Amino acid sequence: MSSHREAPAISKDPVADNTDTYAWRTPGNTVTIITNYLPVEAPAGGPNFYEFDDTVAYNVNIDNDGDGKPNITYQFRFNTVITNPNTFLYNTGPITSLDSANWNRRQTYKVTKIEYRKGRKPRTTVLGRGLASPPCNIGPRSTPNYASLASAAVANLGSGIKVFAGQCADAFFVDLGSVFDLATLRPFQNLHLIPTAATDGRDALAQANVHAIAIQVPIADLTRDGKVPTDPMSANAVIGVWGAAYRQKATVRGRDSGWRDAGPWVQVSRLGNPLFNEVIVPMARKDEWNASSPADDKRFAKYVARPELATLLPVLYPGVFPNLAALNKDRADLLAVLLTGIPSGLIPGFQNFTGTTQADELRLNVAIPPAPTPNRLGLLGGDLAGFPNGRRLTDDIVTVELRAVAGATYPLVDPTFTPDGAVSVIEDGTFNNPGRTFRNDFPYIGLPYAGYDVPAA
Amino acid sequence: MDPVTRRSFLIKGSAGAVGAAGLAAGGIALSSAAAADEPELRPDEAADVPGPVLVDIEDAATGEVKILVGENEVSYTDPALVAKVLRAAR
Repeated sequence: MSSHREAPAISKDPVADNTDTYAWRTPGNTVTIITNYLPVEAPAGGPNFYEFDDTVAYNVNIDNDGDGKPNITYQFRFNTVITNPNTFLYNTGPITSLDSANWNRRQTYKVTKIEYRKGRKPRTTVLGRGLASPPCNIGPRSTPNYASLASAAVANLGSGIKVFAGQCADAFFVDLGSVFDLATLRPFQNLHLIPTAATDGRDALAQANVHAIAIQVPIADLTRDGKVPTDPMSANAVIGVWGAAYRQKATVRGRDSGWRDAGPWVQVSRLGNPLFNEVIVPMARKDEWNASSPADDKRFAKYVARPELATLLPVLYPGVFPNLAALNKDRADLLAVLLTGIPSGLIPGFQNFTGTTQADELRLNVAIPPAPTPNRLGLLGGDLAGFPNGRRLTDDIVTVELRAVAGATYPLVDPTFTPDGAVSVIEDGTFNNPGRTFRNDFPYIGLPYAGYDVPAA
Repeated sequence: MDPVTRRSFLIKGSAGAVGAAGLAAGGIALSSAAAADEPELRPDEAADVPGPVLVDIEDAATGEVKILVGENEVSYTDPALVAKVLRAAR
């Protein structure tokens, strides 16, 4: 999965597990950033339905000077209350508004902007407090008009900033069953080392929810010079984005139901580029990666330069990837895409290079306008507004990264290399799920599946 | 994130005598000659402990501990305190 349960430690702490980060330019000279948590929510998972954790700090980090450290952070902190201590139920009747007396367990949140300034204390500004998260989508009797509840939970914080925090349908799509069964990519099982008949891909997250933190911010709030760049080749046009979750260092559990935390905040999860920790970093170092800063990602660069998956593909698909098998060089293409951004001169009219500091960040060139007709393959499909120039909800990042690792992007740095014929056709096979829908406006990510409806009869 | 000054540390969360103090990266470094010399807390001090105060023995040989208090971590060196704690734990 992009980063669902991707490391041993965080897989045991789902409320702090950052599953995906999206960042893309949206209308009105804005950028929308979404960081998702709580992987693979079963929509019917009550009576204690999913929620954010009051003891976690959820940060959206922005690096606009290329040093791998945040210049701006939008921090989300939650507060949970029980309004009726005498019931086991999440709700005692239909929830028809965000202040419904029938809603027993609810969350509000505070958004704080933190601006890091060299040689001075960070400047913190509370942008909003007491903001309501919507309830989980229970079913037609408990949450009869869910769309209106979700819409009411979009908060306008002024100065062009909007936020939303709550349950959503997971926008990520992937055939997990095939990936983790020795990369038996459907529909290419017949070519696998252990072959079976070819069948269509199956989206393992087709009816799973997540909890999304979404923020829409004017571009000028994010760039290093405070302006809206118009020249894509300008260094000021590129920002790096990642989500990260933090817990205090120690927890003391008491005899009653509560516990208390103490000590400084430590990072327990992060996510910039999808699949980085999942597929690139060895299992023995995944927890270390989650606890470290992008500024220190140089120590993980060797796994990008020689990705394990690139050596597995020719073994698992005998005779299918001969050119990839013979490519015994560091992958300068992947190092650029994932750790520094793509420098100018490789793709006409495009760059998202942030400098020589190797850092896993989702890099977005905000001078590239939204594509009128997005291509799910992003840059690989000739669409400069898509992954790895940021990431949109509909970008097929599994296929893009699969093809990139298989050699599709290596000609950018070595024009003499010819990718294997299979590279242009391999795919995840789950992009066309008709049940996956999106909203037309912020926060764009789809409404969550209702517990009453999943699984379908 | 609440800053912990040496003074507030002494008033709110002290577990031992404090001698020389200095700022360390990511926290506050303190050291002590002898925990046994520290007078008992006054009632008002004892009533004003800011949530859990955890002492993590970083290095028993040197007496270095990390004190987790509020949103801060205080580095503190007190071989006598560490010896006392470890012997009590046996």
